[in-house]
Amino acid sequence: MRNRLIKPVDQDYYEYLRDESRAMGSAESISFPKSLSDVISIVQEMNRKGIPVTIQGARTGLAAGAVPYGGHVLNLSGMDRVLGMRFSQEGRFYVTCEAGVVLSRLNKMIESKKFNVTSWNSGAKAALQELTVAKEQFFSPDPTETSATIGGMVANNASGARSYLYGSTRDHVTALRVVLCNGETLLLRRGDISASGRTISIMTEQGSNIETQLPSYIMPKTKNAAGYFIEDDMDAIDLFIGSGGTLGIITEIELELLQKPMVIWGVNCCFEDEKCAIDFVQAVRTKMKNIAALEFYDGSSLEVLRRQKAENPAFSKLRTVDKRLSSVVYVELHCENEECAIDNLKEIAAQMKISGAKMEDTFVARTESDRDSLYFFRHAIPESVNMLIDQRRLDNPVIRKLAADMSVPDRYLSDIMDMYRSGLEKYHLESAIWGHMGDNHLHVNILPKSTSDYEKGKALYQKWSSEVSKYGGAVSAEHGIGKLKTDQLALMYGAEHIEEMRQLKVAFDPKGLLCPGNFFTLEGGGDK
Amino acid sequence: MSKLKIDPKKCTGCGVCVRSCSFNALQIEDNIAKVNDDCTLCGICTESCPFDAIRIEKESFGGMDISLYSGVWVFAEQHRGEILQVVYELLGKGKELSEKKRCLLTAVLFGEDIKAEIPKLFAYGADRVIYCENPVLRTNLEEDQTRLLEQLIADHKPEIILFGATGFGRSLAPRIAARVGTGLTADCTQLDIDPESGVLLQTRPAFGGNLMATIICPEHRPQMATVRPGVMLAKDPEVPADEADADRKTQEVIALPWIDSASEKQGIEVLQEILSKRTNNIADAEIIVSAGRGIGSQKNMILVKRLAELIGARVGVSRPLVDIGWSEYKNQIGQTGSSVSPKLLITCGISGSVQHLAGIGNAQTIIAINSDPDAAIFSVADYKVVGDCIEILKKLITAFEEEETRVGR
Amino acid sequence: MKIAVCIKQVPSTNEVSMDPATNTIIRDSRQSVTNPFDTYALEQAVQLKEKLGGEVVAISMGIPGTERLLRDAESRGADKAVLLTDREFAGADTLATSYTLALGIKQLGDVDLILCGKMAVDGDTAQIGPELAEQLGIPHATDVCEIMEAGPKQILCRKNTDWGTMVLRIQLPALLTVSKDINLPRLPSIPGVLFGLTAPFEIKDAITLEADPGRIGLTGSPTQVVNTYVMQRRSEAQSIEGEPASQADKIKKLIKELL
Repeated sequence: MRNRLIKPVDQDYYEYLRDESRAMGSAESISFPKSLSDVISIVQEMNRKGIPVTIQGARTGLAAGAVPYGGHVLNLSGMDRVLGMRFSQEGRFYVTCEAGVVLSRLNKMIESKKFNVTSWNSGAKAALQELTVAKEQFFSPDPTETSATIGGMVANNASGARSYLYGSTRDHVTALRVVLCNGETLLLRRGDISASGRTISIMTEQGSNIETQLPSYIMPKTKNAAGYFIEDDMDAIDLFIGSGGTLGIITEIELELLQKPMVIWGVNCCFEDEKCAIDFVQAVRTKMKNIAALEFYDGSSLEVLRRQKAENPAFSKLRTVDKRLSSVVYVELHCENEECAIDNLKEIAAQMKISGAKMEDTFVARTESDRDSLYFFRHAIPESVNMLIDQRRLDNPVIRKLAADMSVPDRYLSDIMDMYRSGLEKYHLESAIWGHMGDNHLHVNILPKSTSDYEKGKALYQKWSSEVSKYGGAVSAEHGIGKLKTDQLALMYGAEHIEEMRQLKVAFDPKGLLCPGNFFTLEGGGDK
Repeated sequence: MSKLKIDPKKCTGCGVCVRSCSFNALQIEDNIAKVNDDCTLCGICTESCPFDAIRIEKESFGGMDISLYSGVWVFAEQHRGEILQVVYELLGKGKELSEKKRCLLTAVLFGEDIKAEIPKLFAYGADRVIYCENPVLRTNLEEDQTRLLEQLIADHKPEIILFGATGFGRSLAPRIAARVGTGLTADCTQLDIDPESGVLLQTRPAFGGNLMATIICPEHRPQMATVRPGVMLAKDPEVPADEADADRKTQEVIALPWIDSASEKQGIEVLQEILSKRTNNIADAEIIVSAGRGIGSQKNMILVKRLAELIGARVGVSRPLVDIGWSEYKNQIGQTGSSVSPKLLITCGISGSVQHLAGIGNAQTIIAINSDPDAAIFSVADYKVVGDCIEILKKLITAFEEEETRVGR
Repeated sequence: MKIAVCIKQVPSTNEVSMDPATNTIIRDSRQSVTNPFDTYALEQAVQLKEKLGGEVVAISMGIPGTERLLRDAESRGADKAVLLTDREFAGADTLATSYTLALGIKQLGDVDLILCGKMAVDGDTAQIGPELAEQLGIPHATDVCEIMEAGPKQILCRKNTDWGTMVLRIQLPALLTVSKDINLPRLPSIPGVLFGLTAPFEIKDAITLEADPGRIGLTGSPTQVVNTYVMQRRSEAQSIEGEPASQADKIKKLIKELL
């Protein structure tokens, strides 16, 4: 009997054939399950028929991970309930959500301490009572796109500016429920199942055992969203976090909350010279313990912003930075009290002086409205770059923004900046660089003016991928591999390790039906 | 002295008042609420207390003999020789109030050459018009008109004066209120007479716009209030059928002679008045699509504009969007923006603060789209759409665009 | 030029909700902030000082906690700050407030210009500016969007009107209320923040100001609130359910019916 949840993809659903990467895919059917049993029944049917399944949350990804290349689309946005809460003896709060819960709504619930408790058990309700009288809590992973779903964030191991201090989504996931392609389920709680060296054995809730070898590569010791998380004696739960939908469907997640710092201040530190900015970043990250985010915006980004402000009334309220200043480093301080924050400001001032800059060239945001204005500034930069590219595409549709998302270990920060700068100069390419300099993770955006610029940019991008790998870095630190960076992953790890990754996938998804095309192409079909 | 009083016999120490105070001025000590120096006498705790244990005690003034004051007055603001529409709306409400008080309704008109406008004031309900003409009154300036009003108030002792909350009204009314030493309530959405005490009940959104507050001015006169354009309704103008009819109505006209300024120098000189082109006023729009913070990011304004285009609507926004620069003030709907009365209003991502609701009270049909099922906007909407407004907007746009192409073919 | 800037402390959000258990009003207890419009007045004052020399004094009538906001004003360029605080000032409406502020400003000496924000976001009445000017007996202009020239004796400015703008020449001393289009308020620098921590700060009470007890606080307020309530609900709204596509369809049908 045909499952009533499965619908054909007609024009009502064309929207679901693409994600934020703008890549366009194709699919024959789509479903919006509302519960775990819905997911299981749909997956079992697809498995029976051998139809590939692409898993979607809010489709905010930038690497086409949620773009289907044929088959069925399983969209989890209908599973958007917060199922419960837990309060541990150590005073920590944990929230259990379905995969389709949207980050911004979760954040609002945690902030307002208001949840829909209709299906909650008494333990969960008691935990909520504790929350109402507890100090403010927060969920620390802060990707820029807050309309993302928790499921997507976990599958991608999303991170944001504050991941510099608090880590990525991985560091705050304590339990998962995963549906495998045959409909069996895994209930994974951090600390329960570990690998033995590089061998792992996981039992499904239905009693089947999956035993497999893990790939033998060593992951870079940097911020990394490229390929599977693999380590000796690793926790089984970490296999699925950041797995890009290739091993199973994450339906339920338990997240750990943290106590929100009492004082959050943001400081824009401005430099006349980019090298001074880099020196400053290297100094403060060793000396200062209260930095939650350490971000960088280069001269070209600031210039694009100035141009957009002049042309676009929407940016009239934006504070741009004086032309004399070529770089901005945003430092976010998380402190227990204002005395600590003031001490940190004094340290920043001292370090600015040492790196050859002036402490007068700083902007301190202490109130919500000032923090909003710095936030507006930070978000206006990628927005104005996108607007610039859109303008150029009107004349030449071949042109696309080329965005690098790579990271390297700390000691190579200056080297990597030199590498980016010399490459861009050599090919006379317009660019804008910004990003998480604290993690040596910069978004280097090449802004082609012509088709030949675009081609040169792509070649440069490939070159950078292999250089970064040689530095022991990651070709994708945050956006993930999806379908668009499979070449980079292969460059980073090499064909043998890619084959090991394929074998790992086969252990959980023998027919290769889940998100085919993500991370690597499959041998023998199922991909585009 | 005025103070906050907590009745120890009624207070149970429940602590609700502590939570309601945004100045942290209340604490529970020995099971009774106690107030500290941070109290601003805002009064929220008096409303919050479930046991009615909190009162604000106010010392009496007794400085004015209010029994000497009578009459309802409307300030007839004019611009370049034309009386503003809001004046007729105020006359409509003024008529109601004067009938309840059994007194006359007087309109006060200042201008350079405005006698010709006087019949309109009678047509819209005035029983009496006091006017003053002088070339100096060509442009509305506070100094001169404050002086004239001061004289009129001293001579005639009106009990109530209503002003339009126009740019000029909001500057003139407080100046004269301070000159005379009386109370003024701005942006009233409702005006009524208390049946027992006879005072003017002035209601406006308060506490930042999420509550309504009713305010009185019990011991000072005149009681003064300003009202935004579009909030009150003008009555249909009555033109006398014939001479006999005109004679039957008491329509007194008093000319006030010009009063020169005491000082020699004009404090303010107008060097230039620039009239911008008559822009299409949102207050007149028949169909409006409005956007609030729920649209998420500025780029989504394009969707709002597109839907508006497709259905022939005007785009409106809630105040936060003007504050953060996503739209201009002329599109702002709400207590401090425009009051609108469209046939159809579609709201996208607007939560519905009372401040905003104050501007849409007269909309005929409201379709509200918001992802929060508890959003206040749903309390005034006719149709409740819980969902992602961006998704729905996109679908709506597609639906209308398709129809366009189909029809076009 | 000596410029006084009036600052008001307002709640950070205007979120007021009803407690479902007790059916009473609960206010968001987050920290109070400076009235956003006043930050534009402060910025304008500091810009004038930077251009013409002189001194900017931030003044406020408020609770003791308002010191934090006045020091914040000093971190953004005010040279001195004065807080008028006294239990007797509580409950003041705009008449009593403007009387009290006038006393404070008179004690500052020869002030050339007073700048206020156009309105406060919690009261929205926009009355303090004109009433304060009246109490001081000086000319005023509201909704000023540009200051073109400022000299020792007069100021040239542009204000918004309901029909466009007007350019005025005003004799000093005078009071202006400013709109948000006048400038873009700055964030403090680190030296600014450090200055604000220890900058000159004075507290004055009713006795120091020689205030008439009958004209301050609730006693001196002609107006008072007699009732506060949550807006009435219309009759229950009709719900339009389904997924976005079907909701959009139903809305489209509605629109066609209504128009």
